[in-house]
Amino acid sequence: MRRSRIKAFLVASTKSFFKDKGSVFWVIAWPIILVLMSAYVFIPPSAGSPMTMKLGIVNHDASRSPFNGSSLISVLSNVKYNGTRLFEIKVYKAEEDMLADLDKGKLDAGIIIPSGFGRNLTLGTALLKAYVGGKSIYSIQVNRGILESFLCGFAREIGLRKANIALNYISGAPSNWTHPSQFNATFKEFVYRFMVGLVEPINTTLVEKAPKALTERPRILGWYVLGAVGMMMLYSGFSLGATAIVEEKEKGRLERILSTPSTPADLLAGKMLSGLLILLLSSIVIILSGLAVQAEVRWNPLRPADLLVLLHFLLLGVMTISMGFLLSLVSKTTKGAGNLAVGLGLLLSFTAGIWFPKEWMPGALRMLADVFPPTWSLDAIRDIVVYRVGIGDVALLTVESLAATLILFLLGVEAYRRVIRRYVEA
Amino acid sequence: MLLEARDLWKSFGGRPALRGVELSIKDKGIVSLLGPNGAGKSTFMKIAAGILRPERGSILVMGRDPRDPEARSLIAYCPQEPGLFDELNSWDNLMFYARLYSLPEQKAREKARILLEELGILDHASKPVGKLSGGMRKKLGLAIAMLAEPPLYLLDEPTTGMDPGSRRDVWRILREIKADGGAVLLATHYMDEADELSDTVYIMDKGRIVASGKPEKLKERYGPPSVVEIMFRRVPSQSSVEDALRGLEHTWSEGKLRVSVERPEKVVPRLVEQLYSLGADIGSVRIVKPTLEDVFLKLTGRRLETSEEK
Ligand SMILES: Nc1ncnc2c1ncn2[C@@H]1O[C@H](COP(=O)(O)OP(=O)(O)O)[C@@H](O)[C@H]1O
Ligand SMILES: [Mg+2]
Repeated sequence: MRRSRIKAFLVASTKSFFKDKGSVFWVIAWPIILVLMSAYVFIPPSAGSPMTMKLGIVNHDASRSPFNGSSLISVLSNVKYNGTRLFEIKVYKAEEDMLADLDKGKLDAGIIIPSGFGRNLTLGTALLKAYVGGKSIYSIQVNRGILESFLCGFAREIGLRKANIALNYISGAPSNWTHPSQFNATFKEFVYRFMVGLVEPINTTLVEKAPKALTERPRILGWYVLGAVGMMMLYSGFSLGATAIVEEKEKGRLERILSTPSTPADLLAGKMLSGLLILLLSSIVIILSGLAVQAEVRWNPLRPADLLVLLHFLLLGVMTISMGFLLSLVSKTTKGAGNLAVGLGLLLSFTAGIWFPKEWMPGALRMLADVFPPTWSLDAIRDIVVYRVGIGDVALLTVESLAATLILFLLGVEAYRRVIRRYVEA
Repeated sequence: MLLEARDLWKSFGGRPALRGVELSIKDKGIVSLLGPNGAGKSTFMKIAAGILRPERGSILVMGRDPRDPEARSLIAYCPQEPGLFDELNSWDNLMFYARLYSLPEQKAREKARILLEELGILDHASKPVGKLSGGMRKKLGLAIAMLAEPPLYLLDEPTTGMDPGSRRDVWRILREIKADGGAVLLATHYMDEADELSDTVYIMDKGRIVASGKPEKLKERYGPPSVVEIMFRRVPSQSSVEDALRGLEHTWSEGKLRVSVERPEKVVPRLVEQLYSLGADIGSVRIVKPTLEDVFLKLTGRRLETSEEK
């Protein structure tokens, strides 16, 4: 009996939803456009690998030293960062040509190697002049940092070599040398370590901790594909919940429905199920479109963690639809409810870690992203299908999402009851 | 007793819509609730359908509170707006409500086909109902009510805004329901509809039942013995005609003059002569039976149709 009534809402609401072109645009077409834009515009095929600086070089050095201008050029053209060449070198004959290209933005930086560079490197201090350009203050800063840190590292390398060479000239300890008590070393070791310390007093171990969203391209894409799913869930779930009753009222169906043996609870269950079905179908379509552009989204029903993904999709749907019911408290018309839902859904997508990584958000918004329950579930899904973490890594997130969903659902049901009572006294 | 309302009161924002309504339906047949717009008909229907709660008084549908789901499976309420999914076709709309009544799907489909055929919608049944004419949508709304074959139908203005052909279709269907042993509470503001179809009429005005009974009895009791209906080709001036009519109860509607008279054979010759002398060009003079319109006029001092305009 009740099954039949819930089926009535499920079939009719879902069918009429997909017959409406506007709805289909928002739940299917728009997210796919986002996925395609991500793949070809926001995250171009070059994304995910580190930047390569375009570096112009003018070499005036003709020293015959073991290390000279040409050796510097060959080191520069081979240096790599995370597997990508750091510099793309173009050698110029004339300084003016190089500077002109720098002005035109064809180069990120230029180096002038003066004559005598090699000789000075062997004995004394070698001079080098560099120009740093860039498209913005920010990129000039980045370019400068990259070039400077390379040259520092290079200078250190040369220093170490020179220290090694210097050792050859040391035979024994001078008579006035006393063994420093706190070091257990011979004179030669002592001098060597002292010189190494001159060259490199501090050796820092650097560990990169990039936001997960910023790893390799397929994973970046995977992250954004789920971002598109999340964004769709937010505005569609909100909208399905917010318009559920007011639309029935406006179309003149609510009173007739409630004059049949069906109850407000049947209507709620039917609307919820139809909403979940719509959200699930669109999520699948969006994910398939993501796979088509080589996004990394993996799912294997035999892997226990992957089954949790289904739970989190369900939680996301229930959360967003319940939040939609809450929105229906403040909207008196279907149009108003729809606009509010879509507006708020988009806003939260952009600020709460759904579409943009939450690491990008300034302080207060970052906090919003941290306390917004749909982001918890979405992050759990991302962790599992993009980063392939195990159950243990999402256990806490899952418990938190479950609790939040339960609370939102209960609030949503209460809001729903209030809105129904606004229209009928059944 | 199929339906029994005692002393029902209901107001909206302090303005009373029902004021002590008493209405009962004992048996199969058609009972009309006749009244102008704003009389409170829809409010009464909604209370009977369990959608609104009366402030005072009691209402029982087959002995149950209408808000009880058991009672709701015994009625079919068809609101003024038929309550359809515009994007879906007629079949889907019928099946939606069939499922709400938990009717077996196969049976419901067969019944739906018969109803669509009977109401002349079958050829358009696979179009989205948003593309159907208003009359067809209302007929579909009626078909939905008939799916469940309940003992009691609550139909709120089922023919309002319909073309005459569709209206006849609906009347035929209502008579069939009655013949099959169903009971209908029909809210309408068309006096001819109430007159034509009802076994009992409740006349409602400003939230009150002002009279009730069989249409014939009502007309006998409240209507004049006869009505003279005069059609003009040209009216000299309404005020001079009014002079000629002094002392006679009369109304104008659509260029027709209706005069209530006791003994037409005495009044008509004198009246016609007087009108001619005033320069009127008379098209026709007919002596007709009084209608429920005349009853309403007598009871309220207003005409059904003019009150509707307000
Ligand atoms: N939901 C409502 N809110 C406020 N006033 C209402 C509402 N429903 C009906 N009314 C008022 O109650 C009176 C009776 O309305 P209604 O029952 O619809 O009359 P009818 O169906 O006979 O035209 C009217 O004055 C109408 O304005
Ligand atoms: Mg009405």
